[in-house]
Amino acid sequence: MLFPLILIPLVFAVILPLMVIGSTASVPAQASSYGLLALLKTLPIHARDEVMGMTGREAIIYIVSVYLFAPIFLVIPIMASSIIASDSFAGEKERRTVEALLATPLSDSEMLLGKMLVSFVPAVVVTVAAFLVYSAVIDQFTLQLFGGWLLFPNDIWLILIFALAPALAFADIALTVLISARAKGVREAQQISALLLVPLIGIIVGQVTGIMWLDPSMAIVMASALAAIDAAIFVATIRAFGRDHMLARLT
Amino acid sequence: MSIQASELQRTFGSVTAVDGLSFEVKGGEVFGLLGSNGAGKTTTIRILACLLSPTGGTAKVCGFAVTDEPAKVRQRVGLLTENPCLYERLTAFENMDFFAKAYGVSSEAERRQRIGQVLDFFGLWDRRSDKVAHFSKGMKQKLAIARALIHEPPVLLLDEPTAGLDPKSAKEVRDAITQLSRNEKRAILLSTHRLEDAERLCDSAIIVEKGRRIAYGSPESLRKKIIGSPVVEIIMRKEDEKVVEMIRRMVSHEALEADGSRLLITVDDAELIVPEVVQTVVQAGGLVLSVRVLKPSFEEAYLRLVEEAAEH
Repeated sequence: MLFPLILIPLVFAVILPLMVIGSTASVPAQASSYGLLALLKTLPIHARDEVMGMTGREAIIYIVSVYLFAPIFLVIPIMASSIIASDSFAGEKERRTVEALLATPLSDSEMLLGKMLVSFVPAVVVTVAAFLVYSAVIDQFTLQLFGGWLLFPNDIWLILIFALAPALAFADIALTVLISARAKGVREAQQISALLLVPLIGIIVGQVTGIMWLDPSMAIVMASALAAIDAAIFVATIRAFGRDHMLARLT
Repeated sequence: MSIQASELQRTFGSVTAVDGLSFEVKGGEVFGLLGSNGAGKTTTIRILACLLSPTGGTAKVCGFAVTDEPAKVRQRVGLLTENPCLYERLTAFENMDFFAKAYGVSSEAERRQRIGQVLDFFGLWDRRSDKVAHFSKGMKQKLAIARALIHEPPVLLLDEPTAGLDPKSAKEVRDAITQLSRNEKRAILLSTHRLEDAERLCDSAIIVEKGRRIAYGSPESLRKKIIGSPVVEIIMRKEDEKVVEMIRRMVSHEALEADGSRLLITVDDAELIVPEVVQTVVQAGGLVLSVRVLKPSFEEAYLRLVEEAAEH
């Protein structure tokens, strides 16, 4: 439980940005030098305009920390919630406590929401905390580099952390909890729910290759769409959840 | 009537676990579901607790149909599952508090009072702050029954309440069940494969085999129905035809079986007949070594029934 809740956010918020900052010390002065052209070509026009006046080092740090790390950061809420969510019902089945829980007069929606919140709240807290640390790390090392310009927080990251990440986490958690209710054990639930990372990997690849670009408007559209999807997933999860089915599989 | 089941049925694929069970349980009664492993007892209890839906038939608990109003049924049922289903990393008090909230005991003061009552009833109050992982099997079972009572349900469904317990713990659990039934007038349905529990606890029982009811009645009536009347065994020092003849005049020819010095006399009422028979033997000059009433046990009745059911 420690690894996804603490170590993964630590890697994304501290270690990776420090590696980027540290590895850019020998980057050529001009952002438009040959080595950076390939990277610049993946950016949309407005982003290219932003970096054209920067040095090579400034450009790399800016692009990576503001844009390329943005979708990668979405891994944090999913990883932070995965173990708790996959354990939600599958763990109860393994520990032979599920029957007493199902025998209570709690409704299916109450039970599901409870199981989801216990994953969702830590995931969101960890994500926000990681963002704060990440912002502090980047700003600490770049304040002087950018002449007093604070890179963080900025509009895209605020939308990412406070709208897109929670919406994505909720969808992932809802589906993982349902998988957990259907799976025979925690390991099976974890293995199946790992497939839910595929759409996120698609976003990351899209961002890195320039196929899609996570700017503020795109982030708002995605968060809004996910919010609607979240509601639909929650309703579908309640319908698909069945005490009868869960116990029939145990019998 | 607290529990009513009518032609209850439950299938799992091609397997019929419960096949047309019908019974009723009223408040203050302890009703037994007796049967071997896989007979359908746990499935029946799960249906009544609204954990499984019946695939046929109907069941009502406190007037609410299990298929139509499961939440109302669950609110009125206290369930002891086959496993204690306790959270081992929590303390006894925390377990009780969690389930009290889940069962709608919203006031903290009420929860504390109720938890104190039930833990005290089972002698677990002093252990309330200990993690359940450190409890013995007997303590866990008592805590699980305490949990079933936390919301003061009128109906208790107890699945194998003494399974795996040592004699002392089993007796404590049986005493608690008796007290809950007699003093608190709860309707208690318990499933067991321990015949001594059925004999000691149940006012009436059904014997279940392969999901079907193969017998019904009080433990006493079940025993009589299947095995028949008790048999008086008299062992004399030596064979004595005169004694045999004297006894034959007392009872019918069919009721007496003489096997050397051993006499077996089938009677309706042992308490009435035994003194007279012994007096007759002594007056006839017979030397009595021992007198025993061979009351067929419930176990013998049950095993015979199950064998007959298997043959059919």
